[in-house]
Amino acid sequence: MAVKKDLSIEYLGVKCENPFFLASSPVGSNYEMVAKAYESGWGGVFYKTTGIFVADECSPRFDQNNKSGVPFIGFKNMEQISDKPTELNFEYMYRLKRDYPDKVMVASVMGSTEEEWKELGRMADQANADLIECNFSCPQMTSHEMGSDVGTNLELVERYSRAISSVTKIPVIAKMTPNITVMEPAAIAAVKGGAKGISAINTVKSITSMDYENMTGMPVVNGVSSVSGYSGTAVKPIGMRFISNLASCKELKGIHLSGIGGIETWNDALDYLLVGARNVQVCTAIMQYGYGIVKDMISGMGHFMEERGVRSLEEFVGLALPNMVPAEDLNRDFKIIPKIDNKKCVGCGRCYVSCYDGAHQAIDWDDKKRKPTINDDCVGCHLCLNVCPVKDCITPGDLVWKEGRKPVEIKMKHHYE
Amino acid sequence: MALSKVEKKKFTDESDKQYGYNLRTAREEALRCLLCEDAPCSKGCPAGTDPGSFIKSIRFNNVKGAAETIRSNNILGGTCARVCPYDRLCEEYCSRCGIDKPIQIGRLQRFAVEQEKAFKMKVLEAPQKKKAGKVACIGAGPASLACAAKLATNGYKVTIYDEQEKPGGVLSYGITPSRLPEAVVEHDIKQVKNLGVKFVQNTKVGKDVDLAEMDYDAVFVGVGLWGTHLPAIPGIDKKGVWTAIDFLKEARTKKDAFKPGDNVVVVGGGDVAVDCATSAKLLGAKNVSIVYRRTIEEAPANMMEFKYALNLGIGMTTNMAPAEVLGKTKVESVAFNGRDGVSGLKIKADAVVFAIGQKPEDMDKLAGLKVTEKGFIKAGKNGKTNVTKVFAAGDIVNGGKTVVEAVAAGKEAADSIMAYLAKKEGVK
Repeated sequence: MAVKKDLSIEYLGVKCENPFFLASSPVGSNYEMVAKAYESGWGGVFYKTTGIFVADECSPRFDQNNKSGVPFIGFKNMEQISDKPTELNFEYMYRLKRDYPDKVMVASVMGSTEEEWKELGRMADQANADLIECNFSCPQMTSHEMGSDVGTNLELVERYSRAISSVTKIPVIAKMTPNITVMEPAAIAAVKGGAKGISAINTVKSITSMDYENMTGMPVVNGVSSVSGYSGTAVKPIGMRFISNLASCKELKGIHLSGIGGIETWNDALDYLLVGARNVQVCTAIMQYGYGIVKDMISGMGHFMEERGVRSLEEFVGLALPNMVPAEDLNRDFKIIPKIDNKKCVGCGRCYVSCYDGAHQAIDWDDKKRKPTINDDCVGCHLCLNVCPVKDCITPGDLVWKEGRKPVEIKMKHHYE
Repeated sequence: MALSKVEKKKFTDESDKQYGYNLRTAREEALRCLLCEDAPCSKGCPAGTDPGSFIKSIRFNNVKGAAETIRSNNILGGTCARVCPYDRLCEEYCSRCGIDKPIQIGRLQRFAVEQEKAFKMKVLEAPQKKKAGKVACIGAGPASLACAAKLATNGYKVTIYDEQEKPGGVLSYGITPSRLPEAVVEHDIKQVKNLGVKFVQNTKVGKDVDLAEMDYDAVFVGVGLWGTHLPAIPGIDKKGVWTAIDFLKEARTKKDAFKPGDNVVVVGGGDVAVDCATSAKLLGAKNVSIVYRRTIEEAPANMMEFKYALNLGIGMTTNMAPAEVLGKTKVESVAFNGRDGVSGLKIKADAVVFAIGQKPEDMDKLAGLKVTEKGFIKAGKNGKTNVTKVFAAGDIVNGGKTVVEAVAAGKEAADSIMAYLAKKEGVK
């Protein structure tokens, strides 16, 4: 029958049935939502951030970015932390843990003073949460005592991490903001304060698109708008970069990482695992498609493990890190000239246009036959391969050594989807 | 005009290729899917193939999961992807119809099954520990294959008896290969064989073996309709008059060596009629026409198939019923009378093929089963017949419907056979 793989993985001492979690966000805001997500197959939840502060939200509060008619390339939201009473949220968490003991409950919290952080830590303890995540990173809080303004302040990150860690034995995770040049110092500060894990990334500060009716950004709230967090497919490359940096940081060795940003399919999740995350958190894809997407994440990951003969997800964690090097360490002695399969070519000329206008004028165009040919000016940049709409039409071809460079054995990529 | 070699290639290999997807084009099509709540397309499939799930899997880069869904729900997933009247089933229910045109579900299904083959996936497995019940399935067509596969997946020992040399029934001896390539049928049947189902070919139950003497706990009858049918009109016994079944069988077995003649007239309005006409054209006939006694709207054939026939240059005339086959000893022309009582038609013909429905062969020899006036087996929706341990489904019960409906009926009959065996003493 259907492939059934063990996708379980240990995370900060907690056994997770799979690495797929709801991110602390609108998708895990109350008992019914989380219960439905569990039933759909999610391994756990980072419950919607709870504070002593109860949010008052604006309307509307979302916008989405599209490219060539494909919606939700990126998603912008103006929501803050939970708008439900603090006690009610912890009661939901308690009941969810009681009713679904095998699922992982992470209490996401946010305080504005050391006292508040401590109080939230105690409440998470009483709610029997498995883990606590400190939200140091929401970019659209109405108070500057909270959110990403805290996350970019190393002193506050350390102090609040220490405050909450001092009142509970539950492992504490710090959720970081990408609105910072490098993340390692903030992560190190959190760990100094007692954090055992790091989650990244929270949303990226953004303006998605403009509204010409009111001459403001989207969404329009009483004729005006604000900068707020951007998420979805568009931010995945940013999230991956931060996770990879954290995973490679010596001072953070042994710190468990949770990947967030643009995860929609099993291979998005796998990508994060390969650069060092132990699990992933999803929000935007669920807001667009619902909890059901986890079924194909579970099934697809299982098939890939089967294909690769991998028995535990642990084998994937950080597997690609040794192959991620600084730009100065790349071998620059050769070029790989693409080859064009004339039989597959449909004669659209996209490769010619892109090469001429965006690269090195290295494709000659036969306008009678409507066929491209690569000439001697090719530098092997592979822009043509990336714009070609036909599968397997332009592929990596000959390996050519720059003059005077010493040939060595080269590893190449051969298969493109 | 006869098709040139190039044209023939175009209408067989290349059109086949054009309808195929690769991973990139399949995902582009899946991107059009609206990912509906409680997917209506899934409700439109009689066999429960669940397109809503498999399209979602393709969309979310889980092609193997898509193949798994199809194969677990529909043992003839590859075949159905080719011959299903999608426009009247799942695609008709597709919510995207409210925006522009439906998702190309058939083509996506075909892609997923091709990937199953490419990755050498083995989706279905029979349990190691077998149940005591032994079941015989008579006939190796869609209903029987679906019934056998479901029983085998649930641990029953199943033997299929079939009178033909190759299994598949109508899939191997009826539907033309340009619509349903042999390799597609073979791949589907291989999945049934992998489940340990035993195939006894060249054996007709009721003639070569006696049902009463066969030692089985339950018997499934899915023999299809192989009785020939010709209208009682003057000249019907002339040389060059064919029944659709014989014509397609000849085309299938003799292949290019079969020369039906330059002028071929096909009478009928179903998929079988279209199959006969396209086969004749691809075999080299110059003029092929389809004549149907009702209108196109009333014709049971899939519109896609009519369009394919039109592309091949096959003409179609409606509201004309056959009146007489003319010629000395051999067919020279066929005369038709108009439905309106005024019109008439006479077409030059070297061969005339009657594709006007098949009828059952004599079922009396099979264990005293009750039959309808027309000779179809009387059975309930669950496949139960008047004989306790005998079940029946597919064309032989419903009078001749689609492959996917036969699969659905075969699956349902398997359920009631299992319920019956679970209760039957000495079998557990």
